[in-house]
Amino acid sequence: MDPVFEYERIVTRRTLLSRSARGIGGAALASLLQPELFNGSAQAETTIPAGVKKIAPKAKRIIYLFQSGGPSHVDLFDYKPVLRELHGSNLPDSVKGTQRVTGMTAGQKSFPVVAPFWEMKQCGQHQTWISERLPYTQTIADDITIVKSVHTEAINHDPAITFINTGSQQIGHASLGSWLSYGLGSENENLPAYMVMLSQGTGKNPGQPLFDRLWGSGFLPPSHQGVKLRPGSSPVLYLSNPAGIDRKQRRKLLDDLATLNRGQAEEIGDPEIQARINSYEMAYRMQTSVPGLMDLSGETEQTFEMYGPEARKPGSFAANCLLARRMSERGVRFVQLFHRGWDQHVSIKSQLPNQCQDVDQPSAALVKDLKQRGLLDETLVIWGGEFGRTVYSQGAIGSPSAGRDHHGRCFSIWMAGGGIKQGYEYGKTDDFCYNIVENPVHIRDMNATILHCLGIDHRRLTYPYRGLDAKLTGVEEAHVVKGILS
Amino acid sequence: MRTLSLRHWLPVLAVGISCLTLFAEEKQPAPAAKSDATVDFSRDIRPILSNNCFFCHGPDEKHREADLRLDTRAGAFESVIVPGNLKESALIERILSDDPDMQMPPAESGKKLKPAEIELLKQWVQQGAAWQEHWAYLKPERAALPEVKQKDWPQNEIDYFVLARLEQAGLKPAKQADKRTLVRRLYLDLLGLPPSKEEVDAFVKSDDPRAYEKLVDRLLATPQYAERMTLKWLDLARYADTNGYSIDGGRHMWLWRDWVIDAFHKNKPYDEFITEQIAGDLLPEATDWQKVATGFNRNHMITHEGGTIPEENLVNYTVDRVKTTSEVFMGLTMGCAQCHDHKYDPITMKDFYQFFAYFNRLDDRGLDGNSGINAGPKLSVKTELSFASEELKSLDTELKRLQAELDHPDEAAMRNWEAATQQQLAERGKNLKLHELEIVKVSDPNTRSDFETSEEGHILALAASGRSPSISLKVKPGTDQLTGLRIVFYPNEKLPEGGIGHGKKESFPGGFILTSLAASGTAIHSDQLDLYSMFNIAKITASQSHPDYPVQDCLDPRDHNGWSPAPHNQSQQHLTATFEKPYETKDSKYITVMLVWGGGEFGGRQALMAGDYQVFGISGIDDGSTIPEAIQTILAVEPAKRDAAQQTALKVYYSQIAPELKNTRYQLSNLQERRKMLTDSFETMVMNTAAKPRETFILDRGQYDQPTVQVSTGVPGFLPGLPEQAPGNRLALAEWLTSRENPLTTRVAVNRFWEMLFGQGIVSTTADFGSQGDPPTHPALLDWLAVEFYEQGWDVKHILRKILLSATYRQSSEGTPELWKEDPQNRLLARGARFRLQAEAIRDATLKVSGLLVERVGGASVNPYQPEGLWREVSHYGSSPATAQVFVQDHGEKLYRRSMYTYWKRTVPPPNMQTFDAPNREVCLVSRARTNTPLQSLVLLNDVQFVEASRNYAERIMKEGGAGIESRIRFAFAEALGRPPEAWEVKTVTEAYQRELKNYQSNDRAAVALLNQGESQRDKSLPTAEAAAWTTVASMIFNTYEFITRG
Repeated sequence: MDPVFEYERIVTRRTLLSRSARGIGGAALASLLQPELFNGSAQAETTIPAGVKKIAPKAKRIIYLFQSGGPSHVDLFDYKPVLRELHGSNLPDSVKGTQRVTGMTAGQKSFPVVAPFWEMKQCGQHQTWISERLPYTQTIADDITIVKSVHTEAINHDPAITFINTGSQQIGHASLGSWLSYGLGSENENLPAYMVMLSQGTGKNPGQPLFDRLWGSGFLPPSHQGVKLRPGSSPVLYLSNPAGIDRKQRRKLLDDLATLNRGQAEEIGDPEIQARINSYEMAYRMQTSVPGLMDLSGETEQTFEMYGPEARKPGSFAANCLLARRMSERGVRFVQLFHRGWDQHVSIKSQLPNQCQDVDQPSAALVKDLKQRGLLDETLVIWGGEFGRTVYSQGAIGSPSAGRDHHGRCFSIWMAGGGIKQGYEYGKTDDFCYNIVENPVHIRDMNATILHCLGIDHRRLTYPYRGLDAKLTGVEEAHVVKGILS
Repeated sequence: MRTLSLRHWLPVLAVGISCLTLFAEEKQPAPAAKSDATVDFSRDIRPILSNNCFFCHGPDEKHREADLRLDTRAGAFESVIVPGNLKESALIERILSDDPDMQMPPAESGKKLKPAEIELLKQWVQQGAAWQEHWAYLKPERAALPEVKQKDWPQNEIDYFVLARLEQAGLKPAKQADKRTLVRRLYLDLLGLPPSKEEVDAFVKSDDPRAYEKLVDRLLATPQYAERMTLKWLDLARYADTNGYSIDGGRHMWLWRDWVIDAFHKNKPYDEFITEQIAGDLLPEATDWQKVATGFNRNHMITHEGGTIPEENLVNYTVDRVKTTSEVFMGLTMGCAQCHDHKYDPITMKDFYQFFAYFNRLDDRGLDGNSGINAGPKLSVKTELSFASEELKSLDTELKRLQAELDHPDEAAMRNWEAATQQQLAERGKNLKLHELEIVKVSDPNTRSDFETSEEGHILALAASGRSPSISLKVKPGTDQLTGLRIVFYPNEKLPEGGIGHGKKESFPGGFILTSLAASGTAIHSDQLDLYSMFNIAKITASQSHPDYPVQDCLDPRDHNGWSPAPHNQSQQHLTATFEKPYETKDSKYITVMLVWGGGEFGGRQALMAGDYQVFGISGIDDGSTIPEAIQTILAVEPAKRDAAQQTALKVYYSQIAPELKNTRYQLSNLQERRKMLTDSFETMVMNTAAKPRETFILDRGQYDQPTVQVSTGVPGFLPGLPEQAPGNRLALAEWLTSRENPLTTRVAVNRFWEMLFGQGIVSTTADFGSQGDPPTHPALLDWLAVEFYEQGWDVKHILRKILLSATYRQSSEGTPELWKEDPQNRLLARGARFRLQAEAIRDATLKVSGLLVERVGGASVNPYQPEGLWREVSHYGSSPATAQVFVQDHGEKLYRRSMYTYWKRTVPPPNMQTFDAPNREVCLVSRARTNTPLQSLVLLNDVQFVEASRNYAERIMKEGGAGIESRIRFAFAEALGRPPEAWEVKTVTEAYQRELKNYQSNDRAAVALLNQGESQRDKSLPTAEAAAWTTVASMIFNTYEFITRG
């Protein structure tokens, strides 16, 4: 490496460090330059704001199994035996309250209570209630915490899914994953810090649309946006060399390119040129690291059995779960799966079993697989959607086409691994799974807790935007949910 | 090394430099002047107070602590600051305190003053605590030119301000950039395109002392300049081709974009530019074109998501108009005051909702814009783009030429085709066998549909339901290979008219329209079509086709076309799809077929679906043909015996399908469409005033359902007021924005021009001129430019020209090591700017140099290449009448238009643009980041758009670059980089070329594969190995840092 050039680079680096911007923004930058800072070396004390260092991270990374559309907490997790007696009765006004409901059921004349369509079973030592539609999830009851009191103000998909993924219903904010990429950087020099995989639901197809902004970087630099991993010959967009150029050729052509660029760097002294050269090297390495990641030929039969038959179908939720484990092994900071199709306005009785079947076995397998590989302690797994569903029927009760509407006042998610209690339930709703009666957990609180597990004080992870020190948790108060921490 | 590479994912360090300039480092003031001992309140103190204190002690009355406000002089001096007296000043005492109860800012705020900041505050108090109102809210005045020492340097007024600041800091300006650099810089800055070798040479060789000035004027007069200015405006105005929210269906706003291009081209005075966009409809005797301009405030996102609440949506739209208008024209973050008084700037909620009231009076609806139909209010108008009439003439000539080309297909190729076709016809039905498939499941899980299956394996949908069913099938034992699928449609007496479909009497009685057919093959059963295992269908035939609904049309997945066998609805019909390659079913037994039935355009909400059908696998060759009966009859006649009519008919038919005329046909249809675009009326969204405008209330916490006090229109109270008796409409607002008294509009505009030419503004936070924004590095210069802009009649070209002619702009961008150390971000402008080109300019530059660029100005958006399936995997395809749910690539010249015309789907922006930091256009974006990631390298190396450009450039290099290798390399450098290569560069590239040549000489298949990238015709007369080797060289040049950088 050219010594003069190296000098410039260091100068630039110092400049940046000395200017450490507000909050962890500065620390985040510092860590880009010196990843060891986040490993707790003495040097770190002076650079990282006090608030951040106080928390010892439990988790190093996250796998977020996002269930897009709004899974029915009433049918899956939030068991209220009394609903069997109340089935068919109108939801009492005292429970329904005066808050708004969506335009899809606002005009209904009655709001008949519908008992869960399936039985639930008490599972594991903790005797957690879990639906019979999720038999595999039942087997990990002792590994997970189910939070039954998550809530959101949003009542429709676009605002709700934007809210839960970016911490705001308003457009333009940064997604959770991009915050982590920004705040913690990558553990693997050959893979992005934030990777996203999509799958289609069989319960409802197409499901509600997904948007780029859900894994976008919002006001953060665009380099933090989630990188989509897709089945097929180019799993990351533009990864494959064009036909007629092989890898050996590519190597040599990149060497030539580096020679040309380096000459420019010497002449001009712009440190960006070296950064550009490095980007090409990284791109080249990705051309191996990504196919290596996607290559499941080394996975055992036993593993495939564990994740279920769909694991052999590229692009399925099951295949994506298996890939998520492989990414976690490789240190990808944040892996997010989006499974579509959980929006059961109609025909819930026929749709929901299929949705459950898509995800039940692979979700449970992922937790077990991480556990057996000793990775669960350092990986936080989150399973949930943007809201739950109403206890009352959408459409005529008893009709095969009846369903449930959106419900944001309470819904259930589960979490497992890094920093979360095992075999635990948190939060309580009323007999109608309609209102929270104990330990509400707002989306902001969830996000604060997720950051906490990764060793970040949500108040300190900031970025200047429109004059504010913007945070994932926004301007309103947010609290770490201590009750679910191990 | 590890450290170094790790940086990569992270906005690589050095990237840091540019992106930080725009973002993280916003608060970093320019390096302090060395001799400047006096603390400057605006530059040094207010930012500290704002950032650390205003949150609790600022304009927001409700959340103000201890009744202390530090954002006004009165507040600050009332109790906590005693000028000249450190000890008596509680402000200083509290910030120095280490008692947690006393210390300011308090620990829980997360704020901590740096020692240097504390020092500055102390100095300031000691020096008498001079207070100034926030600079941006004071009317700009023209300052006298400062004194400078280096008197021979300034070229115009700008340079005095810049030089004075440099001299103060003990720095010297850089030398003037060489001519090659300058001409390239001007082209990239003003056109967003690099100059050709010829254009560079013309400037370099000219000895006209006014050559530079003349070049500036020439470039400012081009339509490409207008396009380049418009591109920037598209980000500000959050222009897109889809609605954004939820289903994100298509819309049509390109006429508004045409208006912007037209305005920049005509150099419409900026005050009129603003006025027409804010209030064009309210101008006296407003023209349609002026009304089109108001689309500016209709570009926001729109929803038709079922279940959303219209009143809430309308509030969201209006809030977006307020945010965008205040940010774009005034650099104010008014959006913060939607829910509470602004924390830093004196903007109250009342200010916000008064401003909101201006944009809350139109006749729009809270749920609108579905089915690709614009949401109201809208207008239907013709484009008034000034280039249109001239283009029309050339279009007509070109159309004639293309038609002539089609009229005279190549005779030899036609003979070959005929021979091949004869054989195909002879082989029709060879070994054809139908294979029954086991039905695993029929479903359409997004609807309440119900299907039955009969014992014979028919799928019955006797009640019309299920618009887009998926049929999951299993291959039965004994079948190892399928060449395709056949769907047979049976008449059924339970269907209308005893037909094959649900069509009503009025339309397609007893018939159906199949708008899309797709199938996938998987080893594991798939309920639904597997998007990642879809068969490529090579051929599709049908027993009968309605002339307007040919069977090929069901391979286009969009709703607006499809296949129908009508009027043959009362007899059994079938279609046969042949796969591109046979499906080996030994280990992969499942097939899923997805059908999408007509509705939409074809019969309103009518369900034009089949009611009784069966899907078979086939082996062998389809017995149908794509050749129409009439043509088959002619082909059966011996060539010599065909009469003139037959010969003509055959020729006409052939030219419609000839593969070698494909691009000609594309071009013909592109130009026919283009002609229409210039002559017909199209719909575009506009502003208007409702007969009964909505009332506006202050909304508690910004919630649509929490109205409190009613307000009328008005402007923020801390800025100069409206003239008395100003009407409460947008026209008055526009007049206020463009009045001499408004301190923000001119400054914000000239700062953005500056940013465009220097990579960063004089105020680096171009979107925020408020308290939290970065103070200007050169306040007097900013004000000088602002006043000049106003006094010269808001003449955009004048102000750009002024900047371009300055010595400051013309400096070399090479910095000395000292300078990199002293001022790495170049805030003091001791050198010229250098920065990476923006996404669109990188693609456009590549297209121009390759010779592919089609410089057609304006018009509807186009769909160039993008990776398969990106829209569909996230969209509501098959379940919504919304458009833009499935991507269908365009062809011909639409692949090579400037990137500003690329169709912008908000939820899935064009990925190659997005990778280079293009925004998704959901909300207004004033400044783009500039990052550097490996994904960018992958785009430039592997995206077919760039590979195709490389091979086209290779052809140019071979044809225009002379015969020798060195001469060609010289050409390649000069054309792409605007300079000759150095000797070592020639050596590097020569070696690369020779190596690749050798490689391709021994591997012709690889060479041909590379040369087949992209749809443009390749010149087959060029030797393949050479062309492929030059392609790799061309790609290398397109990938250099220098090519994508403006220096």
